Amino acid sequence: MNTVRLYIKSMAILMKSQLQYPLSFALQTLAQLVMEGGELLAVILLIDRFDRLNQWTPGNLYFFFGLMSVSFYITECFGRGITGAFPSMVRSGQLDTLLLRPRGILTQVLCSAIDPRRIACIAVGAVSLVIGSRMSQIAWTPVKALLLAESVFCSFWLILGLFMIEAILCIHSVKSVELANTLTYGGRSACQYPIDTYPQPLRVLFTVVAPFALVMHVPASHILGKPLFAWPLWTAFAAPLTGFVLFGIMYLLFRQALRFYRSTGN
Amino acid sequence: MKAYFSVFRLRRRLETQYRGAALGGIICQIFFGLVLIALYRTLYVGKPQTLPLSHITTYVWLQQAFFRMLVASDADLMDKIRTGGIAYDLCRPISLYGFYYARILAQKLMGSLLRAVPMLVFAALLPEGWGIVLPASLPALLCSLAALIIGLFCVSALENITMAFTMRTLDSRGMQAMLNLLMMIFAGNILPLTLFPDSWQPIISALPYAQLLDAPIRLFTGEYALSQAGLILLRQGAWTAALVMLGRFMWQRNQRHLVVQGG
Repeated sequence: MNTVRLYIKSMAILMKSQLQYPLSFALQTLAQLVMEGGELLAVILLIDRFDRLNQWTPGNLYFFFGLMSVSFYITECFGRGITGAFPSMVRSGQLDTLLLRPRGILTQVLCSAIDPRRIACIAVGAVSLVIGSRMSQIAWTPVKALLLAESVFCSFWLILGLFMIEAILCIHSVKSVELANTLTYGGRSACQYPIDTYPQPLRVLFTVVAPFALVMHVPASHILGKPLFAWPLWTAFAAPLTGFVLFGIMYLLFRQALRFYRSTGN
Repeated sequence: MKAYFSVFRLRRRLETQYRGAALGGIICQIFFGLVLIALYRTLYVGKPQTLPLSHITTYVWLQQAFFRMLVASDADLMDKIRTGGIAYDLCRPISLYGFYYARILAQKLMGSLLRAVPMLVFAALLPEGWGIVLPASLPALLCSLAALIIGLFCVSALENITMAFTMRTLDSRGMQAMLNLLMMIFAGNILPLTLFPDSWQPIISALPYAQLLDAPIRLFTGEYALSQAGLILLRQGAWTAALVMLGRFMWQRNQRHLVVQGG
């Protein structure tokens, strides 16, 4: 509990520092809004031309898009320490100071940065979710609401875990490794559409290696009333837990990697 | 003129130094290309279009291959503006605009060539319906190469206009992100311009952003007929000239109001 309090306190301090330059902050947030709006525009234009994607109606597609945006950018907002700041912490030797303090490294890294500009992207995602839900005429029940909450929550840990791959690699090689982007940003681009869009190799990649399909698409398809692969309801609750599993594995690897950490000096 | 050529040459050499980084970038771009094509293939199964699928796959690969041409920007210049190092550049006996134009041109040219060649080879090896197809004809290929070169000049002019906005404020990340995003959408990187609604086509293909990569690609696939090629090259040239003039004007104005930060 102490850790959670520490995290909330650091977030409050960081927020305050971010808002010191209100104009710059507002412009950057606006830029984020335009960026995510552009992604949504691409989906709208594709739907305008093609009407549907397999069995998915336009409303369904907005729902999938919204689920991905909300989850991905919540992670980028609150997990900024891992998703953005970590490589430079290793390069500059800033990580050394964290090693001296009596707290977990990961806690401190997560407490060191926040990216409130992403709120604009989360908003676009939320709007898309609402529109998608309206157009798909989802009859909301407590079970469905719980499924959605679980999916977003588990996605956070999944995406954080995927970003930790880059963190782990950059402890070993100092330079940040662009290749890890294929799973994080590539996963975002690919899995904003349901998994059955893709041929077998990509399906395997996004189910087994980076289980976006299990964490997002399986529960979402149940909420939409079109279960993927006709899987039963209990799978929709069980599948997202793979997000935790992936995060757990990455956490262990991260601790292992830190034992090999060599400071860059300064 | 000679000074600008040597700036160009030096910068070109520098850009070829980072081959390792380029390889990571290439694999990333290839992956994005494959995902996009898989998506368009599935969409085509649901509702076939008048435009053949092979045009779309070719469009995607050419966009991915020349991705660096759109996004490369001069990080040195941003730093110089923030730290005041720009004062040294002002002492040079050549035009500041020309100096940075030559630099960005070299960076965009080498950055994209280094990545485009291996990627296009890879795309050519892919099976039908996934890979890139041959150009419509030999003259079409030549026209599209000419268009690509003009597009390169045009994108460098656009980049310098973005930079002109940067000089006005110290932290213009917001402004820069927005201009870059406009470019990504209307240059056809996020979604091929050919898939935009038909009623939008006359407007978006006349915008400066369509002159960068979209015009060369459409000449390559033969969507723009050879008889139109002259007009298209002319449109590209006109936009490039206009953007260079606008950029020079903005830089000159900025130079007069420039405040050098610190010592």
